[in-house]
Amino acid sequence: MSIIIISSDSTKMGEEIAQKTAQALDYACLGRDLLDIVADQYGIPKEKLEWALEALPSAWGRSAGLQGQCLAYIQSATLSELLKDNMVCHGLAAHLYVVGVSHALRVRILADPVELAREISGQGDLSPEKGLRLIDRQRKSRRQWSRTLYQLDETDPSQYDLVISLSQIDADEAVKIIAQTSRYRRFAPMTYSLRCIKDAELAGRVRAALLEAFPNVKVRADGGTVIVETKGTRRNKLKKAAAIKEQVQNMEGVDYVEVHVKNGPFKKAP
Amino acid sequence: MSERLSVLLLDDEPIVGKRLGPALTKIGCDVEAFEDPKLALERIDQKTFDVVVTDIRMGEIDGMQVLDRVRTKSPRTRVILITGYAMMELAREAMEKGAFDFISKPFKANDLRQVVAKAARELGVSMDLESPAIPGR
Repeated sequence: MSIIIISSDSTKMGEEIAQKTAQALDYACLGRDLLDIVADQYGIPKEKLEWALEALPSAWGRSAGLQGQCLAYIQSATLSELLKDNMVCHGLAAHLYVVGVSHALRVRILADPVELAREISGQGDLSPEKGLRLIDRQRKSRRQWSRTLYQLDETDPSQYDLVISLSQIDADEAVKIIAQTSRYRRFAPMTYSLRCIKDAELAGRVRAALLEAFPNVKVRADGGTVIVETKGTRRNKLKKAAAIKEQVQNMEGVDYVEVHVKNGPFKKAP
Repeated sequence: MSERLSVLLLDDEPIVGKRLGPALTKIGCDVEAFEDPKLALERIDQKTFDVVVTDIRMGEIDGMQVLDRVRTKSPRTRVILITGYAMMELAREAMEKGAFDFISKPFKANDLRQVVAKAARELGVSMDLESPAIPGR
């Protein structure tokens, strides 16, 4: 059950490299098609899910909560798929939440700047200066998006196991490098890493189930034990904890639920 | 090929050997349990085991050194690392050095039995997993 996660500053190249890598390794490829399933499962339009993956977060209003919810649903569905088989994953922000799983090879693809500028602008010829400005603006935007929503900078190369620049290496060579790297023993699944991803999937699934009623909830899982943290007032603490336990305890994979309701003003949950 | 899987179990916490030793014996392993890594390494020098299960953090000699010694002496031996301080980098390093598996504590005895059974299959040693303690998992 090997996992390769492709992240790119170019949606087009990320998808192309992911599909070619999956083909080369005879792995399944997981991409934005998953959003159709997520849309059906949670009753949210696919366009909203795509918006959540692209739009700069707003600190105010309903849209902030809705974006978090959409991303939680996408995360839960993606992690569930990643449990199944050898997989190449792209376009679902998995590089930001499949973290610490030793058999997940995280790859960053840097598109050729000229091609990237064309893709961003949707235009043919651009001056180099204009192209660089567009790329810089996009990079800042993605940095803000990933830092706000996942407390990680997706443009930081140190987040990845492998970074490939397509201005020096063509796509087919990049695929060969990724395929070869994925065969290193250090990226082989082991009992510990399989447990890490199972825990992540369980936590993600529980959080997705709770978010509508409890928007500020944080969830961790350790084996079948699920630990839920949320905020509440002294008055509704017990009632809140009981409601969460009731919702979670019969979910698949849950053996035991612990709920911590902390006093204090609501802060935005990561 | 030996009919019973020979297993060396090394952990400086006595409870681990007391718990896991019988659990592995139940499925047909010949188990030698050690708490002192130096004594375990001396035994490894004397005998080639099919499987070595070792803790990582044990003071002066750690499990990674045991892994290196076993792999040098007998590449055929499957080494399973167990630790209460599991981290991704350590896990990757262990696999790169040739560990068969890496398990984080706490774990159930059945989890280890499953991994040992997988090692046995690779070594061509038959194992009796028909134990009430392993119901169809």
